[in-house]
Amino acid sequence: MSYITGPDVVKYACTCGLLKPISYLYFCRYCTQLRCSFCVCHEVDSNFCGKCSENIPSSEARSKKNRCGNCYICPSCEQELSPRVASSKASAEGDEKVAARKMYYLFCQFCRWSSRDVGIPDQSSVTGGWPERENVHANSLHELLDLDKAIVLAQKQQQEKDKKKQRGKFISYTDRTGVTAAALRKRIGLPADLTHPLLKSKPKEPEPMVARTEVEKLPDDIFTKPINLMEITTINQRLLQPEAQPTTVDKLFPVHKQLSIKRTLRCRTCEHNVSKPEYNPSSVKFKIQLFAYYHVPEVRIVTVEPLRAGKPCELILKFTNPTQHQTTISFEELNLVECSEIEENKFSELVQNLSIQDKQPLSLSNQSSGSLSLSSRSPSIVVKPRTITKSTNCTVEIPTSSFILLPRDDAAEYDDSGDTHSIQDDPKLVKWRKSNKAFVRLTVTPDEGLPLNTEVNCGFVMQHLYTNTISGQLEKKEPQKYDHKVKVFLTLGVTVGSE
Amino acid sequence: MAIYETLNSDKLTVVLDIGTVYTKFGFAGEFAPRNIMKSTVRCKRTDRLRRIWDYESPEDLYDLLVEFIHVIYFKYAILSPKDKPIIIVESLLCPTLFRETLAKVLFSHFEISMMLCLPSHLVSLASMAVDTALVVDVGYKEAVVIPICHGLPMLQAWQALPLGAQAIHNKVRQLLGSNNTGIQNLGEDVMEDIKVRCCFVTEKSRALQFASEKPSIQFCPDVKYPIGGTESIIVSGKVREKAFEILYEEDNDHLCLSTMILDAILQVDINLRQLLAENIFLIGGTAMTAGFKARLKEELEGQLENERYGKLHLKKLAFHSPPCKENYAAWLGGAIYGATELLNMRAVTKEIYFKEKRLPDWIHLSETSRNL
Repeated sequence: MSYITGPDVVKYACTCGLLKPISYLYFCRYCTQLRCSFCVCHEVDSNFCGKCSENIPSSEARSKKNRCGNCYICPSCEQELSPRVASSKASAEGDEKVAARKMYYLFCQFCRWSSRDVGIPDQSSVTGGWPERENVHANSLHELLDLDKAIVLAQKQQQEKDKKKQRGKFISYTDRTGVTAAALRKRIGLPADLTHPLLKSKPKEPEPMVARTEVEKLPDDIFTKPINLMEITTINQRLLQPEAQPTTVDKLFPVHKQLSIKRTLRCRTCEHNVSKPEYNPSSVKFKIQLFAYYHVPEVRIVTVEPLRAGKPCELILKFTNPTQHQTTISFEELNLVECSEIEENKFSELVQNLSIQDKQPLSLSNQSSGSLSLSSRSPSIVVKPRTITKSTNCTVEIPTSSFILLPRDDAAEYDDSGDTHSIQDDPKLVKWRKSNKAFVRLTVTPDEGLPLNTEVNCGFVMQHLYTNTISGQLEKKEPQKYDHKVKVFLTLGVTVGSE
Repeated sequence: MAIYETLNSDKLTVVLDIGTVYTKFGFAGEFAPRNIMKSTVRCKRTDRLRRIWDYESPEDLYDLLVEFIHVIYFKYAILSPKDKPIIIVESLLCPTLFRETLAKVLFSHFEISMMLCLPSHLVSLASMAVDTALVVDVGYKEAVVIPICHGLPMLQAWQALPLGAQAIHNKVRQLLGSNNTGIQNLGEDVMEDIKVRCCFVTEKSRALQFASEKPSIQFCPDVKYPIGGTESIIVSGKVREKAFEILYEEDNDHLCLSTMILDAILQVDINLRQLLAENIFLIGGTAMTAGFKARLKEELEGQLENERYGKLHLKKLAFHSPPCKENYAAWLGGAIYGATELLNMRAVTKEIYFKEKRLPDWIHLSETSRNL
């Protein structure tokens, strides 16, 4: 694919200010704006195991620590392990029994590590029952954690109580009248020696660990015994098992395979999805795919004359209309300074509007405190677009006339009857056209005084007529048309010397 | 028990300890990080791996962190970051630019609901339920000593020296270069691997012998270390034993790892000194090396006999051994703190962040004066 879309000589400016080739961009139909992976909100859609291609519900994934229960990776080289049937040494003893239960072990086909190397007994089922290792400190840490939780909870309750007390101070007259709480208690007939509730429920302090004066010494033979590097694990092998971090290879245990995810991408401004994959892990298709490639005309460089500083040269671009609707394309000069100013104003307006809208949902979520906020999405924060840093060193002569791109017709590829379109083109602008493509001639002039072998960059604003079909369907009206402007940056090549 | 808890708690809390080389990632309430990965990001422009701490500008750091946190959430955590809390375990000496940028990335790009920053030296004590200890963090870039007294970090007593894995890697490279060729072309990961698999911290008596003109003892055996399958280099016994000596070589100011620890003890109240000396706690990946603790003890005892530390009158030195590996001790503390209600009590929420536009910090006057 990369030989079709790359090298990235044509880049489009995303709304967020990043320059990306069109194959990396999304197009939100609701805001009619370009979006890229940087400025959309990513969400986890579904979990699956990349080896067994099985969908795993998020609750199960959570309980299995985001790892597949059945698939393992090699602790030595991180490749996938495959179960193997144990060689039938035991079969000599009794043929009938062996047929009934096959034994399996795990084997890495890349580095030939096997579960037998570390002394894991063979298992009778393919999928599981491999021994898991427990954290030796888990019990003591668990106790500690429970005690800590209790202490902090008590602190919190104390804080809340203190708050209540402060409020109550102004109502109570017991201090002034001399009727103390104890006296009152006696009068009502409650037991007087009631201990303070906080003192009673005071949580147990965890037992602190005691430091030791004796420390582990180096083994005596370390100074004399040669070491075998094959027996010592590398740092990557150690960190693959963070809990145990084995230092020798005989303690390497198979590691559960990490799950993979499918992602949903959501536009931050309008909260609509721009990309949503199908649920099935083995499917590579999408339910929603608003890729810019299907909505925005594609620009490709066909030829460019040798670039010489200060000399005009001809540039031929190919424009392709990917949509089912006819579009008109016109050009405008690229003015980066002005653009950023306008956008900043637009953004500040947007933020003001948003902040007014935001107020309600925010206060709502505060009241419901967590329980509701899970289901209701809080509105996204719109990040201020950054200014485009790319500079151009070449002027493009902007054509005054515009041209039409015919809608995409899949059957046209097989139509040999020739070009039968009846479009009156400006012959100076459009060189040639076929079905939904047009070849356009532009004149570019690299800046005067550019040294040899400098990369020449130019840019222009492409305005195309975008036909939005969504709103039309909803209200049963004619599809709405928008003029959508995209900043396109071209990398033309390097300057050469005079003829 | 643990399984039910994770099912019941409606929100998983990510605990992150972003180190210079390795980032520890896991969830609150668990006792080991899920992953320990390199703190690197693949640069899209140059297609090279870049460390996130090697940032060039604030904008550069922002982009690096966006990429890095994205990978953590969608590759390892498998969790949408939006409206989820996060716990960051950080050094008290973390640059303001880094933490502010991190907060900006987390709040405005990933839209997390709340963020709790915990000082690594303090929280690493949580796994041992100790409230007074001298915490020595020997990491990649530097070794930082901060005494913790009754749950309070004694910041005026902090000590830091660039004695960490980076210095050791450079030393390994320098020592290897003396009897091998082409060492300069090897990457730092090779140096790290040689250090981890071959080197150890030798005993003080041997180190003194080697320093003398005619050592009467032999270095430990050489190791043939394969490079790229076909070639191999010789890692001599000298390299293996001397690589870590850099931690105890006094610099021009007569400072090294052992003096740093004692200087930190000198800076605190006289009544706390003996208590701190009996509660020395080593954290950080470098502290996991074989023989590290034994040598440090020897060195400290040696320094105490000097006149320089005579007024300390320390009778006993004792070291803690945590219920975890040293390289994730700080992370574990964060995970324990994060499982309690502290998250809801102390965290910086989205609302507060966007109102204040910055994180609370101990160096900031407004926060410190509020506490007084």
